[in-house]
Amino acid sequence: MSDNEHKNVRIILFSIALGLVCSALLAGINLVTAPYRTSNEKAEEVRNILDALNVPVAADASQADLVATFDKQVKQTKLGNLDLYAYTPAGSGSVAGYAIPFTGAGLWGPVSGVIALQPDMETIRGVRFFKQEETPGLGGEISAEWFQKQFDGKKIVSDSGTPGFKVLKPEAAAGPNSVDGITGATMTSNRVETMLTNVAQDIFKEKSANGN
Amino acid sequence: MATKTEALQPRSRLSLFGGKGKEILLEGIYKANPVTKQVLGICIFLAVTNRVANSLVMGAALTFVTAMSNLFISTLRNVIPRRIRMIAQVAIIATFVIIIDQFFKGFYWQMSKQLGPYVALIITNCIVMGRAEAFAMQNPPLPSFLDGFANGIGYAIILLFIGTVRELIGSGTFLGITILSDSWYTKNLILLLAPGAFFVGGFLIWILETLNPSGDARDNKEAK
Repeated sequence: MSDNEHKNVRIILFSIALGLVCSALLAGINLVTAPYRTSNEKAEEVRNILDALNVPVAADASQADLVATFDKQVKQTKLGNLDLYAYTPAGSGSVAGYAIPFTGAGLWGPVSGVIALQPDMETIRGVRFFKQEETPGLGGEISAEWFQKQFDGKKIVSDSGTPGFKVLKPEAAAGPNSVDGITGATMTSNRVETMLTNVAQDIFKEKSANGN
Repeated sequence: MATKTEALQPRSRLSLFGGKGKEILLEGIYKANPVTKQVLGICIFLAVTNRVANSLVMGAALTFVTAMSNLFISTLRNVIPRRIRMIAQVAIIATFVIIIDQFFKGFYWQMSKQLGPYVALIITNCIVMGRAEAFAMQNPPLPSFLDGFANGIGYAIILLFIGTVRELIGSGTFLGITILSDSWYTKNLILLLAPGAFFVGGFLIWILETLNPSGDARDNKEAK
């Protein structure tokens, strides 16, 4: 075997060995963390739905508590093509609110969130944005309490009855279907507006189609 | 990345390293600090230093990755074929980055959410590969581990400092606790954007260069 061939064989053998060792390490860590990651993701979704619906939960509730509360009081249903979660408070027979998950394009990546409505399907109980990659400190503020809190009690239709939602310039006078945007994050604010308008239109469409 | 590693070729000063722990630590943390002296790892530095908590965790993650990858690469340094050494280094570095990323996702969910994609982006941090090329490929495992650790800590200290200034001026808080009240303090939002990191970083480098001039500036002075 020539010198050069010998070198090539060594390179290939080394690459295979290194690849195997690295894969083994990665498979190991994946195996160890997988159950934790799945339960974290599940609990995160559940926590946001409960939060948006304004379901009372203890501040220090564990992930298991959250999932238990969710399973007991929230049922997944459908309105036309729309997936929604109906919330029936413990000890009450009637639905107190609906949560509708949505996704949309943010500035840097997809944004997932959930919007919860009163049984009239117009008034907002709460909005939560989770899973977002917006600029931390700017667009990322959409997950901050001050931003999300603004939505409580707003409507997803304008005074004249057209479905839609507006994210206005900060400190612009907010109407029944608008909130203040984020200073320095106009792009994210605009995309959030589009996202919410889309979901509002979907809800409105299904609502009128299903005579609800 | 490739062009930057050239600047990292060991200078005569680096030959002092032969097992001298204190010297290695001092080099990484202060004398040849990766941010203020070599201006490496700036991408992540711009992104995460607008919050102190994020800076802390990123510093810790980078320290882990640099130390561990240095240790591994140094152990293998005589086995790695010269022609594919860069690929081998990246494979080893990527493995440790994924390990720390998965670890955060499993056990520190909230923090992992806040840091978003930046933990995974440690792979592209020039410090990690720079130390692998400049130090771990030429030195035994233990000093290499220490060198990676020292550079990680050096990076973390700078992140922490910049993070403190940016969060305080930009959001009026420290670790999320309000220090400068909204009622009289107008937040300076530019500090939260990337330019803010350049301003604060620039000032810091200026101060440190005055205290401890680097090679070129020192030589110029002497020549005059």
